[in-house]
Amino acid sequence: MAIVNLQNVTYKYPLTDVPVLQNINLQVEEGEFVAVIGPNGAGKSTLCYTLAGFAPHFFKGELTGIVEVAGVESHNSILSEWVLNVGLAFQNPFNQISGAKYTVFEELAFGLENIGIPRDEMIARVEGAMKLTGISDLADRSPYSLSGGQQQRVALASILVMQPRVLVLDEPTSQMDPIGTREVFGVIHSMAESGMTVILVEHKMEWIAQFADRVIALKDGEILMNGDPSEVLTSPLLPSNGFGTSRYTSVARRAQELGLWNEGKLPITLDEAVRGFNSSLTKEEIPDARAK
Amino acid sequence: MHERLSFFVKRDSPIHRLNPMTKAVMALSLVLIAFLSPWYWTPLALFLFVILPLSLVARVAREYWNFILKVILPTLIILFIMQAFFLPGESRSIFEVFGLEITELSARLAFRNVMRILVMISSFTILLLTTHPSELMSDLSRRGLPGQFAYVVISSLQIIPQMQAKAQTIISAQRSRGLDTQSSFLRRVGGILPLVGPLVFGSLVEVEERAIAIEARGFTSTRPKTFLREIQDTSFDRALRWALIACVILTLILRIWLS
Ligand SMILES: Nc1ncnc2c1ncn2[C@@H]1O[C@H](COP(=O)(O)OP(=O)(O)O)[C@@H](O)[C@H]1O
Ligand SMILES: [Mg+2]
Repeated sequence: MAIVNLQNVTYKYPLTDVPVLQNINLQVEEGEFVAVIGPNGAGKSTLCYTLAGFAPHFFKGELTGIVEVAGVESHNSILSEWVLNVGLAFQNPFNQISGAKYTVFEELAFGLENIGIPRDEMIARVEGAMKLTGISDLADRSPYSLSGGQQQRVALASILVMQPRVLVLDEPTSQMDPIGTREVFGVIHSMAESGMTVILVEHKMEWIAQFADRVIALKDGEILMNGDPSEVLTSPLLPSNGFGTSRYTSVARRAQELGLWNEGKLPITLDEAVRGFNSSLTKEEIPDARAK
Repeated sequence: MHERLSFFVKRDSPIHRLNPMTKAVMALSLVLIAFLSPWYWTPLALFLFVILPLSLVARVAREYWNFILKVILPTLIILFIMQAFFLPGESRSIFEVFGLEITELSARLAFRNVMRILVMISSFTILLLTTHPSELMSDLSRRGLPGQFAYVVISSLQIIPQMQAKAQTIISAQRSRGLDTQSSFLRRVGGILPLVGPLVFGSLVEVEERAIAIEARGFTSTRPKTFLREIQDTSFDRALRWALIACVILTLILRIWLS
């Protein structure tokens, strides 16, 4: 059975008339890595909040349909228990620092103190999470003294120590520079490798193409597409609906229009693009294209 | 950036090793005794024979004096002068200027008040110099202080420098767009208004996000909490606390008795 199960989920924030999520049906298997894409205001963050229990438990508002994680229904649970199954991290690393702790080590232990994990296990878990996220050498630093990428890894580690079954990440790299992005994706990758179920909202298609098992395209609160990365990310529906595309796909699509791309499928990664161009361009069609 | 967000100086000393609650009780007792004692010289005696040795034993004398001399002493001197001039005291005049006078009695009273305040500030300074804020709050939470309260105390201590830094960033940003923050008062007040939006609105969004972030880490969990910091509470600590409380009660009795 799927670990995440959303059935006909519709959600309205308080004091609003239009539902932000409409009729969402989504199943995620244990260990799966699902990426969510969508233009601004599509409801991606709201979907994350719904998965993580904050809608409706924190934001109130009106939720209909079934939200089920690990066999428990959101309606029948309280937020402080729900978060033990679903971990949430989001964009701004600074706002995810608890502010109650003076060192990274203590910061990671904060959640474990709250849920009453015995001290020995707490220390072992914190050390494990620091190792996995590559922040062991920051243990004694103040969380406020770190770079954005380091802070975001601390935020991820702070959620990881809680050992949730499902990890929900809402644009964790959108405020990162390329170096921070690479650091954070390294961590996300190793978490996925360790078998954790990951649901990631992300704009950077190149990274999605590299890691995701499945891509969900969200538009105006509805699921527009749900499928294999190579299908969703190359679909002609994306550019016409205001989604971004990977630069490899864009270049190949343009090449296709010019008759320079003869492969059946458009590429989503650098490797696929290189392979495709290699076989397309060795067919001596370049002068032809120039004429066009 | 802000590595140093608290007063705390990490050293190994008998005072550092005391239970945080013991130190808090000690600070509070010293203040109460200084204020309640019926004897005139008690505050000075506490300062000379308790506070000063404590600062040495705790190995924070340098930091302590640094703070007292730079920040507290100037304030106390001003306070002494004000009090000496304005406290009523019908006795021999010892100094007079512009029709204001300091009498023997007003000087005596002003000195005692200033010593009381010095004891108060000193005992809390030594408490904060030798106690890590997290340790203090962990210990108080363990003794039943609501977690939310401890959170508010510590996070406010940490947030203030962050807010200042942010205000500075906004000011620089607005100034680079032509905001005037340096001319006349009224124009400046007008000019500050554009800062309020980003600072307050930014903060509200931040507050919501932070609430979500700590909630995601079980902040309101009803499970019994555990603590990373192991805090010693020896029988010596307990004995010391009771002894201090006894001293306060004794002072109180003496004061009622003798007045
Ligand atoms: N707390 C809220 N109250 C009311 N409306 C909200 C709230 N948060 C978001 N919205 C609205 O919900 C819609 C979807 O927002 P969001 O889930 O943040 O989209 P995304 O993350 O895809 O950009 C937007 O139209 C937004 O204005
Ligand atoms: Mg969003």
